[in-house]
Amino acid sequence: MSADAAHQYEPDSWPVQYLQDHAIHIAVVLVFLAYPFAYDVLVDLFALTAEMILPEPDTMLMVFVLGLFAMSFDFVSGYTGYLSFGHAAFFGIGAYFVVLGYNGQLPIVPAEFPFLALLLLGAVVAALFALLVGLLAFRLSGVYFAMITLGITEIMYVISQHWDYLTPGNSDPATGTTAGGANLADFEPMIGIPFIDPLNANVHPGFGDTSILGIEFGDSVIVAYLLVGLLVLICYFLMQRIIHSPFGRVMIAIRENEERAKAIGYNVFYYKIGAFMIAAFFGAVAGALLIVIEGTASPDTTLFFLVTGFALVATIIGGLGTLAGPLFGYIFLESVNEFLTREASGGGLQPWLQEVLPESVLTATIGGITVDGAMDAFMTGHGEFYAGIIFVVFVLYVPVGMLGTLRLRLGSETVARSVSRRIGRLRADDTTGEVDTDPPAETETEAGADESD
Amino acid sequence: MLRTTGLTKRFGGITATDHVDFELGEELTSLIGPNGAGKTTFFNLLTGALTPSEGTVEFERDGQWIDITDAEPQETAQLGIHRSFQITNIFPTSTVLENVRVAAQAHGENSLRLWRNVNAFEEHYEEARRILERVGLDGQEQVTAENLSHGEKRQLEVAIALAGDPDVLLLDEPNAGVSSENVDDIKALIEDVATDHAVLLVEHNMDIVMDVSERVVVLNQGAIIADDVPENVRGDPDVQEAYLGGYEAGDLERQAATDGGIV
Repeated sequence: MSADAAHQYEPDSWPVQYLQDHAIHIAVVLVFLAYPFAYDVLVDLFALTAEMILPEPDTMLMVFVLGLFAMSFDFVSGYTGYLSFGHAAFFGIGAYFVVLGYNGQLPIVPAEFPFLALLLLGAVVAALFALLVGLLAFRLSGVYFAMITLGITEIMYVISQHWDYLTPGNSDPATGTTAGGANLADFEPMIGIPFIDPLNANVHPGFGDTSILGIEFGDSVIVAYLLVGLLVLICYFLMQRIIHSPFGRVMIAIRENEERAKAIGYNVFYYKIGAFMIAAFFGAVAGALLIVIEGTASPDTTLFFLVTGFALVATIIGGLGTLAGPLFGYIFLESVNEFLTREASGGGLQPWLQEVLPESVLTATIGGITVDGAMDAFMTGHGEFYAGIIFVVFVLYVPVGMLGTLRLRLGSETVARSVSRRIGRLRADDTTGEVDTDPPAETETEAGADESD
Repeated sequence: MLRTTGLTKRFGGITATDHVDFELGEELTSLIGPNGAGKTTFFNLLTGALTPSEGTVEFERDGQWIDITDAEPQETAQLGIHRSFQITNIFPTSTVLENVRVAAQAHGENSLRLWRNVNAFEEHYEEARRILERVGLDGQEQVTAENLSHGEKRQLEVAIALAGDPDVLLLDEPNAGVSSENVDDIKALIEDVATDHAVLLVEHNMDIVMDVSERVVVLNQGAIIADDVPENVRGDPDVQEAYLGGYEAGDLERQAATDGGIV
């Protein structure tokens, strides 16, 4: 069916059409919005069982940030086909820019400059850095692009470990630089509309505000979750907007067949650099948001090559070239991680089994080791090990990832479009009593209800 | 429309294109020659995919000749020189419509509008649908390109080249690998596009060449050895020599006999 299948219900005014087209987005946003409250309710009801399955709101906050980073990685890697293996560079620039800017170490930028301004400035700096890297790296193709970007990021990583400028207090640069210096609570990242006090909140999860818009949540993590989530949502929609624009179509054409894209008249070099700069911009926004949560920018959490590595894993699991997929990939990965932790950090399989299984089973010995001990040794705390196995399984058997598979099942370009068509058909049935003849051969599955792009 | 002067391309010691002086006019011109004669290399030199070792390529626009010797493929495409490829070169996982639409979008400034939805630019969709109808792929708009049959892919190949209404169309074996029952479709397509574009056609099927061409240029070992109307080229002894390489009736049997003797 044509891309404008939605236009067939002409009587609809555009807001109705808009709501229909974005039904799945609205549904997903509502689920995320309700999550921290639902989490409390479910944990009250089901105690350890709920704790075992559901990731904590704390974890979800981190998922938002790393998910945004993985989305920005997917933006350039999944849509132009150029793997940005050095994407951590932009994450690092965003993170360090906020910390250094806040501590007044940047030239021109005054100390304690508003957080949002630092976030935006850092993102612009990252985009300009991407321009320089791109001018160099896009002269080469495929693998060489990945290697050049990786190499540049490794250089930055090593520099960040040894450059005293990053740490004013003579501490070791390798351990990181903290916003606000020694006292964590001094750092007040405000998110909101500038100069309108009620529409601003300090989102520091440890010491931040516990209310927004006069609504008291009693927990600074929830305020941080909502506002960081809002920023990530805005970034997602901006990137999605670009993907669905004529520019985005050129990116896809480059991924599909760069030689032909050139032959039909596109200067692919400029388009690739443009896409890379946009990805860098949003990667740096994610880096700045990391500081909201951690307060500290350190080489190992920002510029290390595994930061990109995890984004790649999340992207593969969620679906390369799906934009929203990486976020769901991260949720999946973090859920696996938490599933295999101890009680204190969000509950997991072992605490649950300890409660459910009788003592005699737990202390039974198999081959000289108790069941409880075996769980300790082989399972608990080894989330990343199992995540690695899952990754391999995905690459082998689900190469298009979770969201990619869903799209294939729905036989649609995007899940949102499929859902919109389906609602359109239902509404047409309701109002006219006629069966709509919209012909796409789709497998009817309702699996898409909770995930979309 | 398009002319070359002393155009030469060397790959190491091999001269793939050898001082070619050629001018393409409005008539449907075919470029033929045995395998390895340098036809595709010549195309690559014209479009800028390869840079010549010597000589110039010029393009006539509004009565002015502009030098495009060092132009990149995207620049020649923007000027209005489009090509189709000998080996199918499409956007495999995009729909047929999108394949042509994105090519139509290449002409103009819309590609930089990153804040607008692609559906807001109906003109590109219209152009793509018009072209698909012309090449006979209407009705296949939503098919993923890689799922087309081989013959349909060849049609799509031409459709992509048609987008943006080029002045010069370089068709590199549009008939390659097409089954004999579909040859007439491709032939009709070539004749159709030649009505409003200057066409340079590379083709191995001599029936098509002799049928549709108004002028035939023969390339052998990188050099032009004949350039005339089809009837004259057909009877040209140099051309026969190039194609058959001094083959005389009975050669094959004698060759087989010798081979047999060795075994």
